[in-house]
Amino acid sequence: MKLIAIVGTNAKQSYNRKLLQFMKKHFESKAEIELLEIKDVPMFNQSDNQSYGEVIQRFNDKITACDGVIMATPEYNHSIPSGLKSLIEWLSFDLHPLAGKPVMIVGASLGTQGSSRAQLHLRQILDAPGVDANVMPGYEFLLGRANTAFDDAGNLNNEGTVDFLEICFLRFLRFAKISNQLNEEEEFSFEPGEYEVNAIGHSGNLPMKVSFSEKRIESIKIDTKGETEGIADVVFVRIPDKILEGQTLNVDALSGASETSHGVIDGVAKAVKLAGVNPDILKRRPKPASSRIREDEEYTCDVVVVGGGGAGLSAAATVLQNGCSAIVLEKYPAVGGNTIRSGGPVNAADPKWQMRFEENPGERHTLEALLSTDEREIHAEYLEDFRALKEDFAAYQNKFGTQKGHLFDSPLLHRIQTYFGGKRTDLNGNTIYGQYDLVKILTDRALESVNWLEEIGVEYDKSIVFAPVGALWRRGHKPVKSYGTAFILALSKYVEECSGKIITDSPVKEFIIENGEIKGVIATGVNGQKLTVHAKAVILASGGFGANTKMLKEYNTYWSHIDDDIRTTNSYAMTGDGIQLGKTVGAALTGMGFTQMMPVADPETGELFSGLQVPPENFVIVNLEGKRFINEFSGRDVLTKAAIDQGGLFYLIADDEIKKTAANTSQEKIDQQVEAGTLFRADTIEELAMKVGMEPAILKATVEKYNSYVEQGFDPEFHKDTFSLKVEKAPFYATPRKPAVHHTMGGLKIDTSACVLDENGKPIKNLYAAGEVAGGIHAGNRLGGNALTDIFTFGRIAGKTAVDKLK
Amino acid sequence: MRYLAIVGTNSEVSTNRLLLQFMQKHFSPEAEIEVYEIKELPAFMEPEDSEVPEKVAVLSDKILKADGIIIATPEYDHAIPAVLKSALEWISYTSQALTDKPVLIVGASHGTLGSSRAQAHLRQILDSPELAARIMPSSEFLLGKSQSAFDSSGNLIYSDKVSELEEIFREFVLFTDITSRLLKEKVLNKKVKKYTWQEQEDKLQ
Repeated sequence: MKLIAIVGTNAKQSYNRKLLQFMKKHFESKAEIELLEIKDVPMFNQSDNQSYGEVIQRFNDKITACDGVIMATPEYNHSIPSGLKSLIEWLSFDLHPLAGKPVMIVGASLGTQGSSRAQLHLRQILDAPGVDANVMPGYEFLLGRANTAFDDAGNLNNEGTVDFLEICFLRFLRFAKISNQLNEEEEFSFEPGEYEVNAIGHSGNLPMKVSFSEKRIESIKIDTKGETEGIADVVFVRIPDKILEGQTLNVDALSGASETSHGVIDGVAKAVKLAGVNPDILKRRPKPASSRIREDEEYTCDVVVVGGGGAGLSAAATVLQNGCSAIVLEKYPAVGGNTIRSGGPVNAADPKWQMRFEENPGERHTLEALLSTDEREIHAEYLEDFRALKEDFAAYQNKFGTQKGHLFDSPLLHRIQTYFGGKRTDLNGNTIYGQYDLVKILTDRALESVNWLEEIGVEYDKSIVFAPVGALWRRGHKPVKSYGTAFILALSKYVEECSGKIITDSPVKEFIIENGEIKGVIATGVNGQKLTVHAKAVILASGGFGANTKMLKEYNTYWSHIDDDIRTTNSYAMTGDGIQLGKTVGAALTGMGFTQMMPVADPETGELFSGLQVPPENFVIVNLEGKRFINEFSGRDVLTKAAIDQGGLFYLIADDEIKKTAANTSQEKIDQQVEAGTLFRADTIEELAMKVGMEPAILKATVEKYNSYVEQGFDPEFHKDTFSLKVEKAPFYATPRKPAVHHTMGGLKIDTSACVLDENGKPIKNLYAAGEVAGGIHAGNRLGGNALTDIFTFGRIAGKTAVDKLK
Repeated sequence: MRYLAIVGTNSEVSTNRLLLQFMQKHFSPEAEIEVYEIKELPAFMEPEDSEVPEKVAVLSDKILKADGIIIATPEYDHAIPAVLKSALEWISYTSQALTDKPVLIVGASHGTLGSSRAQAHLRQILDSPELAARIMPSSEFLLGKSQSAFDSSGNLIYSDKVSELEEIFREFVLFTDITSRLLKEKVLNKKVKKYTWQEQEDKLQ
């Protein structure tokens, strides 16, 4: 038998150590005892996990491999020493080597009591869930007056004491033998078939179907309709995969989605029970092999991309297209970043295509108003473009006169709108606007990005031209597949087909710096292992910091107030890691004080796609009283400021016809949300008003007035000038909305080649950035639909520059 | 009254810390409460020389100057965290500053039990001859389900728990006062000695 003996103190002099040394020698013929010292064990701290460090791993491996453990504890302050307690805390945190392990407790002290109180505490501690040791009952060996108990050779000098220790020890050998039998897996077989169970997910019940053959769980199918999209989707794939792989219920929850993870594991456990087997058997099995890989990994490539969202994948795809190798490191369990959460339309002026659509009432008026801006209000670098746009538009007006024309657009208009849209003054009186050279590239090369994506495999719905909220103009190219998924699916497939490597669950922690130059990055792998990626260039595409409220508050110079519990439409991964990384190598930051709120987010979850999200020409915004308070076509921050002034919460009113223009939903989802009480529906406007607590007459009057404006094509109240549908056909809908953090405009300073600049405006060698991690383009406010234009344009540029500099 | 409130953990996120911060704010009209972190203290190890680490000396000093001590303990493996135990070992090994000091024990936990076992251990530990604190008898404040117990500005949202805490705190202020009067009567013959558990035991023989 192989036993581990733990000396329960870090003191240099210890009778407990002496006792164990005696036992090792005395019982040599009966068992092999190895003594382990605790003096190198660090103080337990759950915020600084050292479970996988050398010291704790040594204990873990030795204890796991042995047949039983002897613990010798002194008594400090009526309890066990902190050093021993710390070790046990480590061994019950991430690792659980003591679970089911036979343990014998002994103790020595100079007094007569022989650490009796400490032994009792130790017994209680070892019995705690998470430790779950199997402590031998009775046979308490307490060595009192220890200073007189040993002779010079370290032997116990009292025959009676030795006899009793022998009795205790022999009992322990027998106890350990039987105890270890308990750890052997019970024989079992499932009642084959498919079982339906309900697990509890984050937002309610998850119906699951689990099927079994006699010896195995064969499949796990989960109906995820009711769950939040994004991270939870990963859970529904990852957790069942792990369960099936290891045929075990000993599966780690995914960070950021532990509730849903446990829901899935518990659901399978219920099915196991229905199939006639005690789930505890499967919970005691080892973790699946893929969860146990902890070997450090090392990679080498030409370009490493940090962040697997739209910008990162575009950059990687470009690198691969140019014949170089690329690795993408993504911190989340799935690629997609914020792109996968976006509505889909990419802004790009494409006059040839847009000409196929008629102009909407009021659009010409919008342009006239824009172009009548006093030139003194326009920054010098934009003036020439502004004048050229005026000429183009004059020609358009001459051509159509009073007749209805086609939808007018050009990269120039896109540029001027991006400029006007981004021009803002903050609370300190500082004015900011989009950096001309970056905005020029964004708008001139937008269409090229749209076409490039089409070549990669994105299919667009060309029958409709979109204007997402805050876009100011209809130039959005919307993919056929819903939301941003279309881009991510196509891009990640492309990257992998071109032999690019995508590693998920691996946050990048630092740069590799050799001779003062960036030579790659170091990340942490899914099981805590170290990933070293040597690369000739690094592209940061890790997104903004919309989910980092602390950082938002730290830099904010725009909003009078940011709530501590503000929601975000972003992925929770958006914590500004790339910006922090950039700072470590001296990167300059720009525009950090400006963040965009999405005025139309779900008040409870911050999600964008609940309720009815229809184009602004169709929705009517009312406050809690049922009155309009804003031009629905206003920029996002104007909408947000107005909403904050109304107390935050407001409603989008739509009717049955308008409903059909919602890109985000289906009848089934609508019914579900009405039932859940997150969307309101009624057969008359008055009834709808009652449901959301408004005065019916007021809402009725508001809607009637609005309908008359649609007819006239003119809104004397709030000057909305683009209309499409009236609110007239029952049933009617009210979607509750509230502002949430949507986009952080500021970030790393870049030049037109996506090189990251330092404080002196010099490029930092081998470092590039694209997407929300970089600043300077959207300035104070980003147009809806311009984020996708930005990431696909500058993502490609970053990839191309990195490759060009290599050659 | 001036109290020192010891956060019984080194974890960055702790509802025990939140509880003490709430008490600090909530009882500010009645008492001055300093919230003290133990995470910077070295792990206890009997020093080879008789040097007392500086941070331990600072803690001893704070304890000596306070009228009473509040300890908030989480529960790790049915007992108090090692890091809290280590801090107490330092005190008992060096200054024995807790001797006769009025102590109030509170605790918060994510489950329903509110660290009850850890509190019982802590009581036994503080009662050991080398610590000999004056623990307020027959009162324990256990805060279960602590993850949802505080709002975003750090206020305890369960009103019944707030009134329970107010009751206990009022009693503790009284206890502090009575204890200090009691101690004035006590004939002081105690001397702090350089101390090890083994020497202590030697003396007993």
